[in-house]
Amino acid sequence: MNTWERLLHTKPARRGLLMLLLVIAAALAAPLISPTSPDHLDPGARLLAPLSRSAAQPDTHHPGMLHLLGTDSVGRDTLSRLIYGSRLSLAVGFAAVLLGALIGTLLGVISGFFGGIIEAVTGWLIDVQLSFPFLLLAIFLLGALGGGKTAVICVLALATWVNYARIVRSQVLSIRNQGYVEAARAAGAGSMRIIFIHILPNTLTPLFVVASFSMAQAILTEASLSFTGLGLDPATPSWGTMLNDGRDYLLSAWWISTMPGLAIGFTVLAVLMLGEGMREVLDPKAAP
Amino acid sequence: MLSAVTNRLARAFLVLLAVSFLTFIIGHDSGDPVLLLARGDATAAQKQELRHSLGLDRPVMAQYRSYLENALQGNLGESYRQHLPVTRLIALRLPASLLLAATAFVLAMALALLSGMLCVVYRDGVLDKALAGLAVLGQVVPGFWLGLVLVLIFAVHLRLLPVSGAGGIQHLILPALTLALPTFGRMSRLVRAGILDVLGADYIRTARAKGLPERDVLLGHALKNALLPLVTQAGLELGDMVGNAFIIEIVFAWPGIGRMTVEAIQQRDFLVAQGCVLVIGTGFVLINLGVDLVYAAIDPRVRARA
Amino acid sequence: MMRIRHSLATCAALAALLLGGCGQKAAQPIVVASVSDVSSLDPHLLDVNHPTGSVIWSLFDSLVRRGADGADLPRLASSWERVDDLTWRFHLRTDVKFQDGSPFTAQDVKFSFDRMNVSPFNALQQLWQQTTLKQVTVIDAHTVTLTTEKPATTMLYWLEEAFIAPQAYYSAHDESWLNTHPMGSGPYRFVEWIPGDHVTLTANPTYFGGAPPLRDIEFKVVPDLNARLNGLATADIDLALNLTPDTLAQANTSHARGVTVLGLRKLHFGIAQHSTLAALRDPRVRRALNYAVDVPTMIRTLLHGSTVPLTSVVNPPNNNPALKPYGYHPELARQLLAEAGFAQGFDLDVDFTPMWGQDKDIAETVAGYLNAVGIRTHLHADEWSDFKNHLSHQSFNGIFYAGWAALINPAVELVIFTCNQEDNASGYCDPKYDDLVHAANTNFDPVSRKAQIEAAEATVWNDAYWIFLWRDPEYAGISSRINYTLRGDDYVEMYTATPRPP
Repeated sequence: MNTWERLLHTKPARRGLLMLLLVIAAALAAPLISPTSPDHLDPGARLLAPLSRSAAQPDTHHPGMLHLLGTDSVGRDTLSRLIYGSRLSLAVGFAAVLLGALIGTLLGVISGFFGGIIEAVTGWLIDVQLSFPFLLLAIFLLGALGGGKTAVICVLALATWVNYARIVRSQVLSIRNQGYVEAARAAGAGSMRIIFIHILPNTLTPLFVVASFSMAQAILTEASLSFTGLGLDPATPSWGTMLNDGRDYLLSAWWISTMPGLAIGFTVLAVLMLGEGMREVLDPKAAP
Repeated sequence: MLSAVTNRLARAFLVLLAVSFLTFIIGHDSGDPVLLLARGDATAAQKQELRHSLGLDRPVMAQYRSYLENALQGNLGESYRQHLPVTRLIALRLPASLLLAATAFVLAMALALLSGMLCVVYRDGVLDKALAGLAVLGQVVPGFWLGLVLVLIFAVHLRLLPVSGAGGIQHLILPALTLALPTFGRMSRLVRAGILDVLGADYIRTARAKGLPERDVLLGHALKNALLPLVTQAGLELGDMVGNAFIIEIVFAWPGIGRMTVEAIQQRDFLVAQGCVLVIGTGFVLINLGVDLVYAAIDPRVRARA
Repeated sequence: MMRIRHSLATCAALAALLLGGCGQKAAQPIVVASVSDVSSLDPHLLDVNHPTGSVIWSLFDSLVRRGADGADLPRLASSWERVDDLTWRFHLRTDVKFQDGSPFTAQDVKFSFDRMNVSPFNALQQLWQQTTLKQVTVIDAHTVTLTTEKPATTMLYWLEEAFIAPQAYYSAHDESWLNTHPMGSGPYRFVEWIPGDHVTLTANPTYFGGAPPLRDIEFKVVPDLNARLNGLATADIDLALNLTPDTLAQANTSHARGVTVLGLRKLHFGIAQHSTLAALRDPRVRRALNYAVDVPTMIRTLLHGSTVPLTSVVNPPNNNPALKPYGYHPELARQLLAEAGFAQGFDLDVDFTPMWGQDKDIAETVAGYLNAVGIRTHLHADEWSDFKNHLSHQSFNGIFYAGWAALINPAVELVIFTCNQEDNASGYCDPKYDDLVHAANTNFDPVSRKAQIEAAEATVWNDAYWIFLWRDPEYAGISSRINYTLRGDDYVEMYTATPRPP
């Protein structure tokens, strides 16, 4: 049984994967499954409680509709915004993880494989990263340079690359001097070839564990940043910006900020379970 | 040992220097404080005069040099918005932040130890599962969202606790709990796993064979040995808290340095923002150093190596 | 023995503290809760009406006081006259003492006005700039004359924001000390300022107008809306400012009541003329924008009917009565767009910033209405500083949500559309309009001046240089301990508040 098959036989991983696929499917199928456009607003249907129905508008021929999760302060459907919001939240999370993994792996491989001065420099970079509260610096940069999708992705990637770099470096160090790598080198294989054929595939599985935990971290951090207004553009629907929208309505319209919070919780739980499952498969001893 | 410490300190100083440079340059480039200070209808000449009197018309490197010189003497400049010394503003806010972080940290650690032990004692029972659920909850929902929900329940509906601000101990409860929960979630799992790990070791079996009561085995032997590897994680968690406290401070309008940082950034009051980043960064560096020293002090292996 | 006495002393001290604490509870200060903190306590660094302005108005006096209805009332000056078109003479009260006991004289007036004309104060104080003030002359201890370069119809308006600081005290200390240790002649004395938390004031028993009815006032910073509402409900806050239309009803509890006042600030969307969008320079398009937005419905739903649509860029009672709101006519809007050659619509940036009430909701709703007539809007949330930067550089590229002039003074209100005026963010420039406004501002004849003002109003109204929204209402909660009437310009004058019998 290979790693992936074993993964699917682990209960938390299977459940996590299923939950995550559900969220991804909802995000992809947003135009099909969301009751209305996330931007359709109706000042006459503001702050409707979940399960209530908005009045029909004779002048615009807009029929009244059922708002399963209520409406927000300008009369937009919360469920539709939640579904469309998942696109941005997931996309930002995935992109950040991908970018972070790319940077981290690259630096990890380089420093582990080549050693010497390069190792010292990357080691120092990792040290710098760990010795400073990066989120704080991130807030400063986002505030000063302006937020937005790309900026948030970069900041999140910069905040997580170090996790990959450390794992990959230690993996590379332990593999570097093993027989088959020595043999490949003796057979005249170039550095690139050795890295791609012999070393990277062996670091892939632990990387996935780190990636799933980073994904959870990225989604939570993006929500925090957007909540403070320093992250994604407040005018675009994302779970973090929706949370912020509902802040002043805690008493009168609790659903506005409660729903996106639950959505974040569900997604992060899915990702964490998947990560936990992977860890179990890779290192049965570490499982609690 | 000593040289290791000085080495760390020197590196930390370099990091802080780099951060101060980065924040200064970016802060300088991203907004004109004079536009913020002057009224909309002030003339260009009046604005220029103000710029000159603040020394903002000098080359940026000259400005950075004097900023650095003053900073080394403990002067972080003056807030553009409030015309007050940055050090005074920070001194006003720092105690609240320290109180919140310290309370949350102690709370998280105490609850994590308690919960970890309970989970071991009632292994695979209902309590174990319930506490595991709580631990997961702490990790999967955003802390500030949980804070909002707690405010909604305890402050807005039940009116048992204040919505926000600082004051008596009742003001501290919700923010401290909210800040503590993610750390509690991670630590309680680690404590549980750590104790279970140690329980399988030879000396525990010896202790049990000697006929020691289970309670003494757990508290006297297992816990002590399980705690050691947790010190590093606890240090990381403390650093994490310092970094994440800002959002909890915003949600609860807690008059701490984290909230001041974000407000200063939003108002483009960059001398205040820079000062806050430097002070929090310094605190973070010192905590990391402290953790390493504690670890070295209690772990004979590390001590021997150093 | 020593020890016993020591602990006895400690006990006594503790008891005193407890009793003192109780005593304090009885004389609990009146707490005014605002979103933000004061920026300075220097009277000449006054930047915004509230909270900085409210505190300065309490600690200091100006020669003339601005009434809530815009009337010019005597304060430190008991009377004044215009000697000629360029000269004003002010007769000062003779019974005024500063809070350190020193007498108030004409020298303090000259000192204060001169101080306002140097950096950094002149970046915030516009007395000299706006009135073309040239010279302040002390005639005797209680008479001053002000000489201007041009006739200044707005002299009294600007004097109302020119506060008098005692010369002896303000020339003896440096700026940073004065920033935190204000001393004037006002109805309240300064007690303490804990930045980020509160400013405390106490009644000035020797105030020339008599000590104010409420003794201790605390201006508290409570940024969170829910916290202000809860404080009101638990009687910890006596005046909670900046509530929202949606939460106003929550202020009605056994301890407090929610009140609203029709504000003076005019909310609108500025329409950038320097924009790369040629469409915005076409008056038909600008009128279409006005017809496309359902202002009455927005007032009814988003603002719970608490305000009225704008009828001019000038506040009543000086507005041109011939002008009427555009109203909601989406078909007309589409038709005008088609006539202007934009039947297919165009891309339009919509900027907003948290400086003005319900910014996001209003910008989104207006964008929704514009989308409905075929315009493709792109919303941008800006930090206030970036927004202000765009305002001063006229660098917006579409429409932007803003408020203008919480005051009653047509000359000051109309100035926003004059060419090259610093506040003129939309970049409108029409020499004929400028001539009208400048003529009115230097014209002391009420009849011809009124005609000039109304003509200027009609120009901007018919050319639709804004999307005209409504007057910005203020929502507040007032505890049952006090009586207080809100002003339409955000200033809070706690010396006019009175205790309310239980």
